[in-house]
Amino acid sequence: MDSGPQNASPSAGAGGSAIYFDGTSSRRRLVTLAFNDGLALHEDGHTLAAWSFADIRRADSPSGALRVTCLTAPALARLEIRDAAVAAELISRCARLDENIPGRHGTARIVGWSLGATVSIVAVVLFGVPLAADRLAPLVPQALERRLGDVAEGQVKTLFGGKTCNNASGQAAFTKLVDAIRKSTGLDTSIQSEVLATPVPNAFALPGGRVYLFSGLLAKAENADEIAGILAHELGHLRHRDGTRNLIYNGGTSFLIGLLFGDITGSGALIFASRSLVTASYSREAEQNADTFAIDAMRRLGRSPKPMGELMFRVTGKEGDRSLSVLSNHPLTEDRLARMSQEDRPPSGPPLLTPSEWASLKAICSSDSKI
Amino acid sequence: MPVSFSGDRGEFFGLVTRGAALELITVGFYRFWLTTDIRRHLWSNTHIDGDAAEYTGRGKELLIGFLIALAIIVPVYVAYFVASLEAERYKAFASFPLLAFFYLFGQFAIYRARRYRLTRTVWRGVRFWMSGSGWAYAGQAALWGLLMILTLGLILPWREAALERYKMRHSYYGDLQGSFEGRGWDFFKRGWWLWPLAPIALYVTPLAPFVYAAFKAVEWRWWLSGIRFGDVRLESTMRRGALIGLYWKVIGWVLVLAVVFAAYLALCSGLVASMSGMPIGQFFAPQVFLKSIPLLILAGLGYLVFALAINVVMRVYLLRDLWVRVLASTIVHDIEAAANVSARGEMANALGEGFADGLDVGLDVGGF
Repeated sequence: MDSGPQNASPSAGAGGSAIYFDGTSSRRRLVTLAFNDGLALHEDGHTLAAWSFADIRRADSPSGALRVTCLTAPALARLEIRDAAVAAELISRCARLDENIPGRHGTARIVGWSLGATVSIVAVVLFGVPLAADRLAPLVPQALERRLGDVAEGQVKTLFGGKTCNNASGQAAFTKLVDAIRKSTGLDTSIQSEVLATPVPNAFALPGGRVYLFSGLLAKAENADEIAGILAHELGHLRHRDGTRNLIYNGGTSFLIGLLFGDITGSGALIFASRSLVTASYSREAEQNADTFAIDAMRRLGRSPKPMGELMFRVTGKEGDRSLSVLSNHPLTEDRLARMSQEDRPPSGPPLLTPSEWASLKAICSSDSKI
Repeated sequence: MPVSFSGDRGEFFGLVTRGAALELITVGFYRFWLTTDIRRHLWSNTHIDGDAAEYTGRGKELLIGFLIALAIIVPVYVAYFVASLEAERYKAFASFPLLAFFYLFGQFAIYRARRYRLTRTVWRGVRFWMSGSGWAYAGQAALWGLLMILTLGLILPWREAALERYKMRHSYYGDLQGSFEGRGWDFFKRGWWLWPLAPIALYVTPLAPFVYAAFKAVEWRWWLSGIRFGDVRLESTMRRGALIGLYWKVIGWVLVLAVVFAAYLALCSGLVASMSGMPIGQFFAPQVFLKSIPLLILAGLGYLVFALAINVVMRVYLLRDLWVRVLASTIVHDIEAAANVSARGEMANALGEGFADGLDVGLDVGGF
């Protein structure tokens, strides 16, 4: 071990050799160290630099070496000490050596801020996005909504075969039924409705004013009031612009939850799971509002909403036993039936369809209208 | 003069395992700091001519870059959504210009991300740095991308050579300017046989790791052998099969982890079923056990651990071990030319890294 040739005072600790890069050129200098009041770096008898111990900071180094820099030196000046004893000597003198190295304290802060960000994103998903969807949906122009509907329609038709049922007498009955509900609720004529030939017992509405009734549901229906209630429910979705609202809401929540889970591989499933949990409650609320709309419409027509609940119950059966209510995007069918039964009144208006019209509607999908 | 690596594998494993756990706790936000720590470890254990490099980037810079990129990308995404609805009405392919716009953004991100990494790379107290324009690069990359489509990818070697020439011409170590001497034709000669194999590998899945690993090995060797900084030359002796083992090890570990995960699921279902007091047959009717909350939570937790374990495996093999193999095959010639280089160049911001994160642009090991 060399000691500093001239500047090392007798009281200084043992010096040692080290490699020095001055941060202005890549020249590799072999220096001898002298521990005085500060750290002095000597090369061939010249003092290259004198660093105060309080200004010396650790830099990343390969395992087995100590690499330091100094706050008062050029930013990239580096002193590399490979002798463990000299390194230990220097470490013992530099009290603030590790202040710049990201350590445990920094990690705790990152965790803290991340949790804060998570809470804020969750709050926005739960409260901010529904509010934004409710406020923004009415501002979406009709033309844009219609276009969204066009895109969705293509997908629906490929998914369910896309054959429209429209034999003449059936279609006439269907139009009569839809018109009756439409007029009673004050919706305009821009609404299009169709019966699709598919065994799935369902019905739904698309943004831009489209209502689809599946023949599978028609097959399970026992009277016109049942179907009328379902159609009124779907028209309720149109009136409340639920399709557009859902689109904004789903887009917003997907984006924010995706942002939250960022980079974890396989986050897709997580995103899906947490999203369905959050959106389910939003969707349940929309369904309840559409039910209210349907009950209202049926009452105005002088018919009871109870048959609608009965039809739904016939299709789904009792749901409470096997489905998790927090995950379900509909209210449980038995609860809906109970609500409709409460609103049950003896009919005060004329039947919506004559028996022969009802028979024609039931047969709307047969190619030749036999009845 | 060979290049050596002094990092301890166990230490790296500890680093990425701890990082994965923190990623879980911070729902992914820790990724910026984990990426930084991985690079710090790899860089500072890489010795060239006896002196180790250093990575001076920090996680906070990546976070800020990501936030700025987000502030730019989000409005563009929204505008893109509205515009594509509008454009789709006229013709199906009318949204193509918008896709092209995103492609440009991605290429810009690649250039700027490399620039960030390079300016945080220090060796012997002097940093690397980069000039040039990210948008000019993106424009070139897009034109070559068009040619790629027209030639079904056959032009790839010439594309990479041209783009690398641009990048290296604008790269510096201090006042030593870089250049790239790899020619497309050399790349083509070494790897042409992979081109017809690629479509086959898409159908014959077990073939894919071989083809991909061979392609990466050929690409690494050609790329490294073309790099120059002033009179300093790099050379790579990597064999074509050098990386195949790594990919198969990853596949093997993923399979092992999948088996463990399946066993865990089976165990959980058994436990929950026996505790629910229901007859076993009845419990496993799909409507029942798919709705059991305790089981869903246990499965969710297991899935998270499974995903994080895969992340650890990928980082150990495809970042660290790959890095080590690449270094072991690399020889530096005429390093004396870099013995007295003057420091120059400014640090660049991490906007490009942020774009790359936000747009999911794939970056290679260390992003080079």
